[in-house]
This record gives sequence, C-alpha cells and structure tokens, in this order.
Amino acid sequence: MHLLSFLTRRLLQGAIVLLIVTFAIFTLLRVVPGDPARLIVGGMAPDEVVEQQAEALGLNDPIPVQFARYLGDIFQGDLGNSFFRPKSGATVGAAAFDDPTRGDRAEVLSLILGRIPLTFQLAGLAVVFALVMSFPLGVAAGLNPGKWQDKLAFFTGSVFVSVPNFWLGIVLAQIFSVNLGILPSLGYKGFEYTILPAFVLAVGISPFIIRTLSVSIAQVMQEEFIAMASLRGLKRARIVGAHAIRNASIPLLNLFGIQMGALLGVLLVVELIFDYPGLGRLTINAVLQRDFPIIQGVAIFISAIFVFINIAVDLAASYIDPRLEY
Amino acid sequence: MTHIDSPLYQNNTGASALKTPTQRMLSEAWASLAFKFGLGIFMLLLFGALIYPELSSIDPTKIHIRARFVPPLFMGEDWSWAHPLGTDHLGRDLFLRCLVGLRYSVMIGVCTVIFMFILGCGLGLVSGFKGKLTDTIIMRITDAQLSIPMIILAITILGISRPTAPAIILVLGLAGWPLYARVARSAALSEKTKEYIKGQRVLGASDWRIITLFVAPAVLPPIAFVAVLDVAAIMIFESILGFIGLGIQPPTPTFGNIIADGRKYLINSWWIATMPGVFLLLTLVSLNLMGSAMENARNKVLKGTA
Repeated sequence: MHLLSFLTRRLLQGAIVLLIVTFAIFTLLRVVPGDPARLIVGGMAPDEVVEQQAEALGLNDPIPVQFARYLGDIFQGDLGNSFFRPKSGATVGAAAFDDPTRGDRAEVLSLILGRIPLTFQLAGLAVVFALVMSFPLGVAAGLNPGKWQDKLAFFTGSVFVSVPNFWLGIVLAQIFSVNLGILPSLGYKGFEYTILPAFVLAVGISPFIIRTLSVSIAQVMQEEFIAMASLRGLKRARIVGAHAIRNASIPLLNLFGIQMGALLGVLLVVELIFDYPGLGRLTINAVLQRDFPIIQGVAIFISAIFVFINIAVDLAASYIDPRLEY
Repeated sequence: MTHIDSPLYQNNTGASALKTPTQRMLSEAWASLAFKFGLGIFMLLLFGALIYPELSSIDPTKIHIRARFVPPLFMGEDWSWAHPLGTDHLGRDLFLRCLVGLRYSVMIGVCTVIFMFILGCGLGLVSGFKGKLTDTIIMRITDAQLSIPMIILAITILGISRPTAPAIILVLGLAGWPLYARVARSAALSEKTKEYIKGQRVLGASDWRIITLFVAPAVLPPIAFVAVLDVAAIMIFESILGFIGLGIQPPTPTFGNIIADGRKYLINSWWIATMPGVFLLLTLVSLNLMGSAMENARNKVLKGTA
C-alpha cells in the first residue's frame, strides 16, 4: 500500500515535469526563426505551396491551440511525423518541392523506437566497462584513505574527467581501427562496433563512480558495525563485500539518477563520432536539419526515461537498504 | 559553523582558530600537492595564452600554404622550431591556434560558471529562505530544467541562433544553473534555522537584508569551491560544441573546430587533431586537480576534520 502511494505520487510528479518539458521545448521551437513549412517544401517552392503546407500542418493556428493538439496526439501515442526523413530511410535534403517521395514522412515514434535498442546496448556496455574499471580503484581507495591507492584513484579520476571524449574517440579510432586494425569504429554492422564507443563512454562515466565509491566506502568503514563485524568473527572479504560495498552502493545508485543527463550528453557526441546509428545521432542530425518533430519527440522521450530511472533508483535503493523511506 | 565551541575550533591552536571557514578551506587546499601542481600548470598555460599571441609575429588565422603539414618538434622530417606543435592543412601554426583557443575556452568557461553561480545560487537562496509557494515554484522549474539534457537544449538553441561567445555563455549558463539552485537551497534551508538568523529577524531585518548580508556569505563560499570543477566541465562542453560546428565560428580558432578540421587529415597528419586535444587535456587536468583538491579541502573543513 505504501509502495502504491509512492508510485502514484512520483508518477504524478513525473507527469507534471514532462508536461513542463513538453511545453518548454514546443514553445522554444515555435518562437525561434525559421518557418517549418518553408523548410519542408524547400527553398525553391512557390509561396502558395508553403502556405498550403503550413495550413496542412496547422502552423497557422495560435501556439496554445497547436500545443493542445500536439498533447492530444501524444496521448494517442503519436509523436508526429519527421519533416525530412521519408519512411524509406534516405534523407530528402534539398530535393524539389514536387518530388513524390516527400509525401511519405517517417513517424517520429517509430524512428525513436528503432534507434533505442542500439543506444541501450551502447549505454549498457559502457556502464559495464565503467564498473569494471572503477570498482577496483574506488574500493581500494576507500579502504586505504590517504595511502597510494587513494592518490592513484584521485589522479586517475582527475585525468579521466579531463579527457575530451570526442578527441579520445578520434584518437582511439585512429589507433585501433586504422593503425592496428583490431576493432571497427564506423557505423554498425555487429556487436564489435559497440566496443570502442562504449569504452570512450566508460572513460567519461568512471571518474564519478570512482569518486563516489571511494568517498562512501571510506565513510562506511568508519561506522561502528564494521568494527563490530570483525569482533563477530567475520572475514575481511565478507565485511567489505557484504557490508561496506552494499552500503556504499546507495550513493552510487543515486549518482546514476543524477548523472543521467551528463551521460546522455556524452552518448550523443560518442554516437556522432563513431557514426553509431543510435538515438544520439538521430538527435544531432535532427537539430542540424531543424527537424522539429524529432527534436520534440526525443526531448520528451529522454525526459520520460529520466523520470522513470529516478523512480527506479529510489525503489532499488530502498530494496538494498530497507531503512530508507520511499 | 560560527559557534566557538564547535569541534572545528578545538583541533586548531592559536591564530589559526581565528580564521574563517573559507580561509581554512583555502589553506587546506594549498597544503595539497595536487592543488599547487594544478595551479602551477594552469597559470603557466594561461600566462602563455595571454602573452605569446601578442608577442609572436605570426597571425593564428593567416594562411601560409607553403608551410602546411609541418609536423611537431622531433617528429617526421621537416619539423622546425618556428612551429613547436606543427602546422595544419592551411599552414597555420598549431601552437598559436591552441593558445588562442585556450583564451576563448577559459573565458567562456569562467564567464559561464559565474553566470550559472549567480543565477542558480540567487534563485536557490531565495527559494530555500522564503519557502512556501516561492520554493515550490522555483523547485519545480528546476526539476523540469534538470530533466532536459543540457546538450539537447544547447544544440537546439545554438543550432537555430548564431553561435557567438555571449550566446554560448548564455545557453550553457541557462542549462547549468539548476544544480547550483539545489545546492544553495539546501544550504539556505539549514542556515535559516540557526540562532543568529533568528536573532536578525527579532531585530527586524528584512528578508533581503538577511539573505544578502548573512545567509549568502555563510553559504556561498563552499559552493564556489566546487565551481572550479565546473569550469573544466564547461570547457569540455564548449569544445564539443565547437566540434559539432556550433561553437565560435571559424576562422577564430577554438579547440573544437581545430580538432574537427584536423579529423579530415588524420591519416597523413595525425598531429593536427591530436595536439590540440593534448593541449586541452593538459589544461583540464590542471583545472580538475585544482578543483578536486579544493573540493576535498572543503569537505574536510565542513566535516570538521581539519
């Protein structure tokens, strides 16, 4: 019952946040210069065609009316159609306004859903890499505060957080794909194409994990129950594994909730560098082409993921540590 | 923190006990090797960026087609002392371009963080101190803003408007203030209940007077200590924008657009894309070492172990 009221409350709050986000992005894209109707039909089209297109898209109505209509569509699961991407896949670019392929524009929802699995695969592998890299460093630092392990973790974290990810991507692609020829790095034809981008992403995430782990483990190790545990005859490995790390993983979980936004930023850039056909590349291309429905759709979608992950984080935290309230 | 009987003061002896928390944080940070190291490198780079382009007779945007693709020192065959980091595809000196890029990068980083700090902390303090409806409204705006990824907001706005330095500062600042607002709010909430603030109220001080004269000076310095880390983060962000083509526009060199240019010549002239990256990395490491040392010092002082 308690759980149910927590979920209702958080989902309601999440819905409000989503509504604000939708409104903000929608308004922002309407007030900036650039006429979508003109963009769709192309620069060569006569004014009547532009006008006709604007009327067909409902762009001549006041913004609140357009927004209400957009919201209505969202509730029916329709995020609108892309301005430029046809269903067939190729971008239309600057083709003539009476080009027949223009009619069939791809649905934003299916574009996003088509890209999501690849992006999740990349993000998932990156998190695995990051955990593998940071756990030894972070735990060792937390167990030996002030010693060389601590300094090593501090220094590694400072260097990793300073690496410009797009540059690292270029350098690694040059070394591993061009010079050594071990790993592919452009496009996506199989799982091995995920490895390099995931590694670059992992370098971006691991400083935060190292830092949080070392700080929170150092803190937990000072607690009374840790001292008591060795009196109770528990082995060191069990004390660290079952008591220290378990307690230190709560701040780590919270970190994931907070750092999602930053993670997404890196993800976008990494996908762009490696030409990885995920959500990020879709977004950047949409922004550069001013494909408003896609930008809106992605922003709303990402905010929704953000809201859900934060709810999931709170649930998981209270599962690990039952003392925590929802 | 201003209570004389707090454990912070018992550990200290004599004159150091009279220092304010901010001074103690500074001296604590100064005591760490990482801070001195980072500060040293950063000052050196900054000094170089301010002086060298003025003294050098070479123009960073001047095209010199005969001297193109010169490799960095001791690499390849025809390297020269005139171009320590080599030249790019148009024969422009990379060292000079990196230094000029560094100027813009640091300028944008510092200005953005100051802007974020003022906006975020201002709203956060008011929100935490006033409470009630003001608090609810500001915090819901913060939540909404936090759930729009900074990068999408930034590229959307910059992709549509013309990317100039003030526009970039404005956009990055607008995207980054909510975190400051949250931290300042929670600090203000805990400060609000302290005796001396209640005393001010009894004396009849207005909310604004209490916020600006008492809460802000007590709450802001620890937040400012961590802001150095954000300067580095914003500098990376600025270079990403430059790389996508949404930063300060060429021919003005920035780390992002030099690397984006150099990427096309990667196979034959690896240094064009690599050197600016190393340069940026060095700058960011120095800033981050400094920032992390300051953060550690702050945590120690706040926890009362220093």
